[in-house]
Amino acid sequence: MFPNVFRKAQQRFERARIEAAPQCPALSKIVIPTGASYPRRECEAEWRDLLFLARTLTVVALLASPFSAQAQKPATANVTADLPPGAMQAKATTACLECHEARIILQQRLSKAAWTKEVDKMTKWGAVVDPSDHDALIDYLSTNFSPDKPAYEPPRTSGSTKKSK
Amino acid sequence: MKSRRDFLKRISAAALAAGAAPSILTWAFPQAQSVDVPGEDGMILRSFRFVDLETPVEYFNSWLTPVPHFFVRNHMHEPSELDPGDWRLALGGEVDKPITLNLADLSKIETHSVVNTLECAGNGRSLQRPQVPGVQWGKGAVSTARFSGPRLRDVLQRAGVKSTGKHVMFRGLDEVPGKVPPFIRSIPIEKALDADTLIATHMNGSPLSKHHGFPARALVPGWIGAASCKWLTEIKVLEAEFVGNFMSPAYRFPNQPVQPGDAVKPEDTHPLTALSVKSVIAGPADGASLKAGRVLVHGAAWAGEADITKVEISTDGGSTWNSANLDHEQSHYAWRLWSYDWKAGKIGDYTILSKATDSQGRTQPSTAAWNPSGYLYNAVDQVKIHVS
Repeated sequence: MFPNVFRKAQQRFERARIEAAPQCPALSKIVIPTGASYPRRECEAEWRDLLFLARTLTVVALLASPFSAQAQKPATANVTADLPPGAMQAKATTACLECHEARIILQQRLSKAAWTKEVDKMTKWGAVVDPSDHDALIDYLSTNFSPDKPAYEPPRTSGSTKKSK
Repeated sequence: MKSRRDFLKRISAAALAAGAAPSILTWAFPQAQSVDVPGEDGMILRSFRFVDLETPVEYFNSWLTPVPHFFVRNHMHEPSELDPGDWRLALGGEVDKPITLNLADLSKIETHSVVNTLECAGNGRSLQRPQVPGVQWGKGAVSTARFSGPRLRDVLQRAGVKSTGKHVMFRGLDEVPGKVPPFIRSIPIEKALDADTLIATHMNGSPLSKHHGFPARALVPGWIGAASCKWLTEIKVLEAEFVGNFMSPAYRFPNQPVQPGDAVKPEDTHPLTALSVKSVIAGPADGASLKAGRVLVHGAAWAGEADITKVEISTDGGSTWNSANLDHEQSHYAWRLWSYDWKAGKIGDYTILSKATDSQGRTQPSTAAWNPSGYLYNAVDQVKIHVS
């Protein structure tokens, strides 16, 4: 009973917030006393600390960079991802990433037959693939992104503090 | 807080002194790195260019989805420049008098609001087996908002639809890469003239954001998201269904059930329209480890043009089912939030299932109908948890 009542109150609050002041950035930052569904807001204080720790560690990483290449890794992922290494990486990058980013490819898990259909469709839609590279490109994609590979883990977005596009 | 920060500073300094920064970094920044997308908060990034963002299911706890948590589906690039002063909507085709409207013209037409659950036809595609190509949506290419704007029929009436007009085509300002076919689709005239079909200019009381089709989009309630064309710039009344990639072969469903993995001929398919009956568990999270005792199982259920009549929950992998409570907030095209108070008594592993039934008598199947593009995935939802 109690969790349900609590959740309903939270929903009413959330709804009122959305409908009453949808454009007010200050209100949108109100901390909602919530159940497990908004864990990050629930633990905002802890989260601020984590953020502080993350920033501190980024500085540490930059300072430590002469000692380790890994230390240069940024706290945020690149906005667009890269295709995996391989003989066809450069050509696949030219052919595919002109129109869309690599994550569209990284998340697919397809058979060789399905990759062949995709490459042929994309070639029709403007992807520049030299006929002599056609089979190698399909091999590259179907080797790296076959159904037996583990699922791609996408990143989350941040940006709640900035103005909407 | 200050002493806590000092403590953290000391940890960091010690780490540096010990040369342990790389290993701590690996710990502090596991694979869950974030990508900054202005205005979008905690969304699952399926693609940055073009933008495709999925709503995490843990956000399904608000009847209206806040705009920063509303899923984003783009087929191509968003318009690079959009000046509301220059924006025009052309209306032509099988009409008595072609017209062009600007935003001020639209704002003078009576506004109507519809709370609508918008779901991408490909939501759940990643769960299809064998896997199929396309954006690999999990469960969250679905959200709910109050959309407002003039009724499409009021705008169509200003131009006067001829009796030959049977379909209504929408064209958006999406920027087409390469030789990709433009994103143009059509809906039958009956749906276009429905009192709830809108040219939406607002979402949850604010002007549409760019990701959601500013300054105006079609809103075809209860139908697949692709019907609700964003950045609307042209409406054309046609004698027949629009012919183009996004009407065929895309967004079509097999007329008859097919074996998983089978090819389907285009002539054996029909265009997707209304959504299926479906429920999703928002909490507890899949893989969660909980303490024995009271557990609130909760989520959302929707059914396109139909109403949700029942959501049933099983906590024993489907042997027995109990009805969930449906929240009071409801609207014809909107999802119902639901909850089920479960007493998790014994330690062990559990599979929790949710199954929705709608006013058309449809119930979620145990296995979704496989199709080559993975549309309308709506199998009974499940999460696996551990009680300790």
